Amino acid sequence: MLELLPHLLNGIALGLLFSLVALGFMLILGLMEQINLAHGSLFALGAYFAYAVCAAKLPLPNEAIAAWAAVPLGWRFATAIVVAPILVAPFGLVLERLMRRTYGRDPLYGLLLTFGVAMVLEEMIRVIWGTRDYMLPVPNDIGGGFIMLDLIWSTYRFWAAAMAIVAMAGVWFIVERTRFGAMVKAGAHDSEIVQALGIDLTRLRVWIFVLGTMLAAFAGVVMAPLWGIRPHMGVDAVVPAFLIIVLGGVGSFWGAVIGGLLVGMVVGLSAAYASEWSMLSMYLLLIGVVAFRARGLFGKKSVLEV
Amino acid sequence: MTQIERGAPAITLAMIGTWLVFASVPLWIEKVGLYQYLGVEILIFATYALAYNLVLGHAGLPSFGHGAFFGIGAYAFGLAQHHVWPNLWFCLAAAAAAAAIAGLIVALFISHRRGIYYALMTIAFGQVFWFVAIKATSITGGEDGLLKIERLPVTAGFASFDLKSNVALFYFVLVVFAAVTVFLWRLVHSPFGRVVKAIKQNEMRARFVGYNVWAYKAAVLILSACLSGMAGGMFAMAQNSAFPDVMSLHYSGYVVMMTLVGGGLVSFWGPVIGAAAFFLARDVIGAVTTGWMLWFGLCFVILVLFKPEGIAGLFQGYMRSRAAPKNAPPQPAPTSVAR
Repeated sequence: MLELLPHLLNGIALGLLFSLVALGFMLILGLMEQINLAHGSLFALGAYFAYAVCAAKLPLPNEAIAAWAAVPLGWRFATAIVVAPILVAPFGLVLERLMRRTYGRDPLYGLLLTFGVAMVLEEMIRVIWGTRDYMLPVPNDIGGGFIMLDLIWSTYRFWAAAMAIVAMAGVWFIVERTRFGAMVKAGAHDSEIVQALGIDLTRLRVWIFVLGTMLAAFAGVVMAPLWGIRPHMGVDAVVPAFLIIVLGGVGSFWGAVIGGLLVGMVVGLSAAYASEWSMLSMYLLLIGVVAFRARGLFGKKSVLEV
Repeated sequence: MTQIERGAPAITLAMIGTWLVFASVPLWIEKVGLYQYLGVEILIFATYALAYNLVLGHAGLPSFGHGAFFGIGAYAFGLAQHHVWPNLWFCLAAAAAAAAIAGLIVALFISHRRGIYYALMTIAFGQVFWFVAIKATSITGGEDGLLKIERLPVTAGFASFDLKSNVALFYFVLVVFAAVTVFLWRLVHSPFGRVVKAIKQNEMRARFVGYNVWAYKAAVLILSACLSGMAGGMFAMAQNSAFPDVMSLHYSGYVVMMTLVGGGLVSFWGPVIGAAAFFLARDVIGAVTTGWMLWFGLCFVILVLFKPEGIAGLFQGYMRSRAAPKNAPPQPAPTSVAR
């Protein structure tokens, strides 16, 4: 039993990261009932922008680049975490603008639209940055590793998990404890009444979308040092994200968190026995759960079932 | 199923026209600066997209993991050839059967799902099959793929035709394509097809009328998977190999794009138009710029936003506006039923 502890701990850290990746996806799906398959591409875009900021490969005059490159890596990394989501936010704005045409129609159109946008964004990344892999350098203070329970651990993974907790707490606070969150939830529940009360639902939806986009980009920055940066990282991220949401139940914040932790632990534990096949375990987990609980663990009835 | 709905002959003029156009392709394709293999690719994917449209366009079930069936067909073709019996008909049947079995497994789990949940579950299953194809290296060759798949000769009792050249393979694929079009045309215009159409329009009503909706939805998926697997088998033959790529989410998405761009939601022939448009766009746009998917993707996005009926829908709209005399009373809205 004790020898499984490191794998379990690893799984929890992994689960928190999966939940982080799924967070923005969940926000848009849960509150607007729109599947955003472009979530992964926005995630990738965040990672690429973070690389551009961190490695000082920006389209700026040479002197500015040189001055920026002289700044310590820790500061550049910290800046990237803040700046990359802001740089990606306009993409979310444009996407919301496009998606507005699909509101009220079969949710399938939103799915198809965002799939198309994901293709376009991924191809854009290929055109701009090429197909090669990049690595986001981690500052020494939070990089490296340490030894615990006879295993070598990556320090950064724990920092990333901590950042995931902070982001999740932030989203929980916004959705559950602010007026904005209350209005948004009410709007998802009954848009007509909310609009009759004089609340501008269109504006609210733009904000949710931008928030979801920035969360995607933030997750991209956090995950970049662990997963590496490459054009198809978006698909690698969006598939576990939707899987976690379906597993936890659409529209449930805690469902997404617990779904993420479950997936992480299953992947972590199965890695102890069959490391090659560990990623398969999450699909089997999903299929097993959904075969018995159609709406996932904590799911509510939603328009998506129509 | 043999009974044909009135007004829908077994073989139509459009069908013969399409076959004739395709039959003439090897005569001129090189003269316009393209190459023979492109024709083979278009026909195989047209067959695949037609099979896919049975699920998306006719039954209204958004499968996002269809690449799995295509890929399973490709692998089954290669494995049957390497390990069992290198006979074209046997290997194609094996491809179709393997994909149908995979379709059956998926159908058991998802046939009571609809809409987005159906899409998400098909993505999950698609990923499972794709993942297995990559990791089961000893069977599938992993990321390197299954190599040395031969283009087997067509044997028909006494005679046998070699398919080594792309032109010969093209005509073989055309024959299969023709058979699939006749089969699917008859199927969607049969009583079975009408029930499927009814389920697309209103599943609950169809259930209340007394149809076993679950069984119909499962049957549609299995049939579509079976035909997709056959297309996959032909693709393995065309490529002389089978790769896990075609099973990825990307490729599963490509067939959705082809079907929609062509107009599979409103037209029986939409998927064929879409497959041709997809590969022509790849080669023509790809010759001018590197990111061809960027432009094709943009076209797709614009179509989804403004004209989900696709190219066939544009054409139908044009024909209607020409046919309708000026100052005529407004026509009833076209039904979104593939015909």
